[in-house]
Amino acid sequence: MSVTDKQLKQFARLARLDFPDEEIEAFKGEFEEMIAFWDSINSAVEGDAASIREVGARQIPLNGLREDEVASSLPNEKILSNVNGENGYFTVKRVVK
Amino acid sequence: MSKIMQLSSALRGKKISSAELTKEYISRIERLNPKLNAYVCQTFDEALKNAEAADKMIKNGEGTLLTGIPMTLKDNIATDGLPTTCCSKILQGFKPYYDATVWSKLKSQGAVLLGKTNMDEFAMGSTSETSVYGAPLNPVNTTRVTGGSSGGVASAVKADMAVYGLGSDTGGSIRQPAAFCGAVGFKPTYGAVSRYGLIAYGSSLDQIGPITTSVEDAAIVYDAIRGKDTKDQTSVSTEDGKTELAKDVKGLKIGVAEEFFDGINPEIKNAIDAAISLYERSGAEVIRLSVPALKSALPVYYIIACAEASSNLGRYDGIRYGYRAKDYSGIDDMVVKTRTEGFGKEVKKRIMLGTYVLSSGYFDAYYKKACLIRSRLIADFENVFKECDVLIAPAAPETAFPSGYSGGNSIQMYLSDVCTVPVNIAGLPAASLPCGKDKNGLPIGMQIISGRFCDKKVLSAACFYEHEAGIVIENQEDLL
Repeated sequence: MSVTDKQLKQFARLARLDFPDEEIEAFKGEFEEMIAFWDSINSAVEGDAASIREVGARQIPLNGLREDEVASSLPNEKILSNVNGENGYFTVKRVVK
Repeated sequence: MSKIMQLSSALRGKKISSAELTKEYISRIERLNPKLNAYVCQTFDEALKNAEAADKMIKNGEGTLLTGIPMTLKDNIATDGLPTTCCSKILQGFKPYYDATVWSKLKSQGAVLLGKTNMDEFAMGSTSETSVYGAPLNPVNTTRVTGGSSGGVASAVKADMAVYGLGSDTGGSIRQPAAFCGAVGFKPTYGAVSRYGLIAYGSSLDQIGPITTSVEDAAIVYDAIRGKDTKDQTSVSTEDGKTELAKDVKGLKIGVAEEFFDGINPEIKNAIDAAISLYERSGAEVIRLSVPALKSALPVYYIIACAEASSNLGRYDGIRYGYRAKDYSGIDDMVVKTRTEGFGKEVKKRIMLGTYVLSSGYFDAYYKKACLIRSRLIADFENVFKECDVLIAPAAPETAFPSGYSGGNSIQMYLSDVCTVPVNIAGLPAASLPCGKDKNGLPIGMQIISGRFCDKKVLSAACFYEHEAGIVIENQEDLL
């Protein structure tokens, strides 16, 4: 399948990324190549529909539940140690005039 | 005797102190790392302090086999106060404020961390060439890649710049570089080892495990890091005590699935066939079988991994840690510029692909179907392991590629993961270990896979082959 520049810009907006116009052509080629590769699963699902449905949803266990208990969190100053925080807050440039 | 056993016995027998041993490793890293680029951060001052503390533990009769042994961690495993960057520009300067559970377990046993090792940016790659620090080199042949994404760990362990190291494996990132560099790599069952503090790539696939120079050492490190952790709700309790490795394979049922051998380099196929014959001669029963869902494993893996990556990497916004764009006009602009400037090309591509498969209109066509086939593959593996104890397969379809390979056709690079990704999709344990060399002298890796929480079966079968075939992994220093 092919994607348009407009669609790519839309996915980029969702992903909070930006692709300059000069990069988008090369990127589009790689993107379409991957989607074409992924399309092979359609034939696998259609060719094996009955047996896939028969299995049902099977997952490796992902979540063990635990009691919701109050515990201490990391100290504020440690969390802020990676950026120039101020007065216990993360700071960015002033954006509201 | 394995390297860890030998060194531990020398430390306890007072033949050498941990401080002396650590100094030897530091001087080796100073000599070899400029050639191999395996370490991206060296923590020698800390290492010497930890070595002295380890010497005290040994003197007091405390500690374990890993006390005082110099080792390394992949650069995506969090270390309190020490840089952890995932080899990405976006995490430059980031120092975590907590230790990953695997590292706190090893640290409490007196492990000596020499530094953090190179990897593909955010573990996305099969050559380690997407690292912002440049690629590590393969000590066996420096014109070849190390494999990836834990290429720095494999290079460091093979060149004896660390006794062992921990890597992470989302689609083969421990097993494939171990195979390319001629080392042992072990990916435990999903849930057997806590991932708390492992910077996430694909959360339903990621697993931490060791790269070592013998299967016995892999079992020792595995025993030290496994078990339930309340900080990782996917982790579960594993059997207490040491993983005892079986001494023989009489009656062991070995499955050989034809799909694993499709398109494999004939030299690799011959080497694996010879290994299977050795098992057969030693009393194992070989069962030829077919797992049709394996044919779809690679696209299924990349759909799921990209989807999870696009979600996991949403946290890098430049506000709380790492890189932040210098000029921006508002918060949205800051986030977009930070991510666009901070992520490398391969990472951006996978985030975009993941966003695509999760977006309205494409979710059913790709992500949902991939989950269906994942279920099929899990069920197929469950059936396979009712019939046999382990599966034997290649670790990769080729031996180590020439450097610069990732600059070519990207699908071609993804195809190199074809033998390893099914294991992650189903959450299984698997090891890769050397089983010969190709005509260029490059190591060939064999993969041994078993059912969930049958990690001991994997390690036992691998250990048996290593002893029977007389595999001794030499370090590569002489070649450099």
